[in-house]
Amino acid sequence: MFLISFKRIVKFACQHFVRNVWLSIATMTIIVLTLFSLTTLVLVNVVADYATNSIKDTVDVALYFDNETTEEAVGILEEELNKIEEIKEVQHITAEEALEKFKKEHEGDEAIEATLLELEKNPFGATLVIEAHDVEQYPLIMGKIEEMKLGDVAEEIDYEDHQLLIKRINQFTDKLKSFGLIISAIFILVAVLTVFNTVRMGIYIHRREIGIMRLVGANNWFIRLPFILEGLFYALLSCIAFWIIMFVLLHFFGPKINTFFTEINFNIGEYMRANFLNIFGFEFIIIAVVNMISALVAMGRYLRI
Amino acid sequence: MIELRNVSKKYSTGTEAVRDVTLHIKPGEFVSLVGQSGVGKSTIVKMLVAEEKPTKGKIVLGGWDITRIRTHDIPLLRRQIGVVFQDFKLLEQKTVYENVAFALEVAGYPKKHIEEIVPQILTLVGLSDKKESFPEQLSGGQQQRVSIARALAHRPKILIADEPTGNLDSINTREIIDLLLKINKYKTTVMLVTHNRDVVNSLRKRVIAMEDGRVLSDKERGRYAL
Repeated sequence: MFLISFKRIVKFACQHFVRNVWLSIATMTIIVLTLFSLTTLVLVNVVADYATNSIKDTVDVALYFDNETTEEAVGILEEELNKIEEIKEVQHITAEEALEKFKKEHEGDEAIEATLLELEKNPFGATLVIEAHDVEQYPLIMGKIEEMKLGDVAEEIDYEDHQLLIKRINQFTDKLKSFGLIISAIFILVAVLTVFNTVRMGIYIHRREIGIMRLVGANNWFIRLPFILEGLFYALLSCIAFWIIMFVLLHFFGPKINTFFTEINFNIGEYMRANFLNIFGFEFIIIAVVNMISALVAMGRYLRI
Repeated sequence: MIELRNVSKKYSTGTEAVRDVTLHIKPGEFVSLVGQSGVGKSTIVKMLVAEEKPTKGKIVLGGWDITRIRTHDIPLLRRQIGVVFQDFKLLEQKTVYENVAFALEVAGYPKKHIEEIVPQILTLVGLSDKKESFPEQLSGGQQQRVSIARALAHRPKILIADEPTGNLDSINTREIIDLLLKINKYKTTVMLVTHNRDVVNSLRKRVIAMEDGRVLSDKERGRYAL
C-alpha cells in the first residue's frame, strides 16, 4: 500500500511541476544562480589551498659551509640533522657539485670563467638543504640548529619571506571567502523565498484538488508530500542543469581560466571532473534541505488540512 | 448512528452558528435538514466531517466520539462519511471514471481494487456509459451523479448531501433525489441538507427544521413548514 501511495505521490509531484512549467523554470533559474555562487565559494577555497601549498612546497632552509669545512664534517652534521624528527629531508650538495652547478649556470661568461681559473681553490663550500614536514616547524628546527653551535657555518634562511607571502594569501582569501559567503547567503535567501512562493502558488493553483483530497479522506502526508517532492525535483534538476552549464563553460573557457593558475599548477577542468560527485552531492544536499524547509513553511502557512 | 448532544458552535468572529443542538439519527434513516440560508445547516455538516470543531457539546458517529478528533484520524472519519455539495467539486481535467477512482487512489487502494469498485458504483448511479466523458461534457444532474459516485467510493455508512439540487432543474432534481432514496434502500444513512420545499414535501421522510442555529422542529414524516 505504501509503495502504491508513494508512486501516486511522485505522479502528483510531477503533475505539479509540469502544470506550472514556467514557474518551475523561473524557480530553477534562481537555484542555478545560487549554485554558481556556492561553486565559486568552493573554488575560492580550493585555489587558496593550492596557492598556499605551492608556496609551502618551495620553502626550505639552506646551511652554507665555508670551503675550509671538510665533506666528512658536513656528513656528520647531516646525520645529526636527520635525527631531528621535524625534518623531512636533508639534501647534501658537495663543494664540487656547487662549483659544477655554478659553472653550468655561467657557461659562456668569459669573465667568470677567467676568474675561476685564477682561483687555486674551489671557492664554494658544501651546502645542506633542509626540508621540514610542515612549514610551521621551521622556527623549531632553526632553534635546534642554533643549539648545535655550528661556529663558522653561514646560514641563509628563506622561510620568513615565504611565511609573509602565505600570510598575505591567507588574508586575501579569507576576505574573498567572507565575500563569497555573504553572496551565497543572499542567493540562498533568494532561493528560499522563491521556492516558498512557488509552493504557495502551487497550493493556490491546486486548491480545488487539495480540497477534494481532503473531502475524500486523503492522508495529510499524501497531500503534503507532493509539494516536498516538488522541492526535491527543483533541487535535483537545478543541480543537473547547473553542472551541464558548468561543463560547457569549462570546455570553452577552461584553458583560458587555467592560465591564471599556471604558477600553482591548478587545472580547473580536471579539478571539477575529479570532484564532481563530491561537489554535486554537497550542493544537492544544501539546496534540497533549503527547498524542503521552504516548502514546509509555505505549507504550514497556506495549506489547510 | 449520528448523535449531537447539546452542540454549539461559535466562530472567532463572534457569530454563533449553532446553538445547543441535540439530534439522534438512527442507522439507515433518511433525514432532511431544512432551513433558510445561514441557520447553521452547513456548520453542522462541517462539524460532522471534522472541518470545524464544536465549541460546546459532543458529536458521536457510529459510537466514535469525534468532538476532539485528532488530526491524523480525520481522513479515516472522512472515508466513513460520503459528502456531496451543490457545486459538485469535480476535477475538470479528469474523466468520470478518474474522478471516482481519485477518491480511492488518494486513500492508497491498489489499482486492481479500484478497477473492480469504480464500474460497480458507476452502474449504481447510472453512468457506466459515460465513464470516459469529462465533467464539462455532462449535464448538471450527471455531474452530481459523478459526485455521488465519488462519495460512495469508500462505501460509507453515512451520505451527507449538502444542497445537492441547488444548481439543478426540476427533472434533474427528481433524478438525484431518486438516486439518494435508492442509496438509502441499501441501508446507507442519508442526511439531505436543503431548503427546497418541493423536494422535502415529496419525500415524506423525517424532517429536522432549523432556525437561528437551533432545532425548530423534528418530525418523523414531516413537511417543509417554516
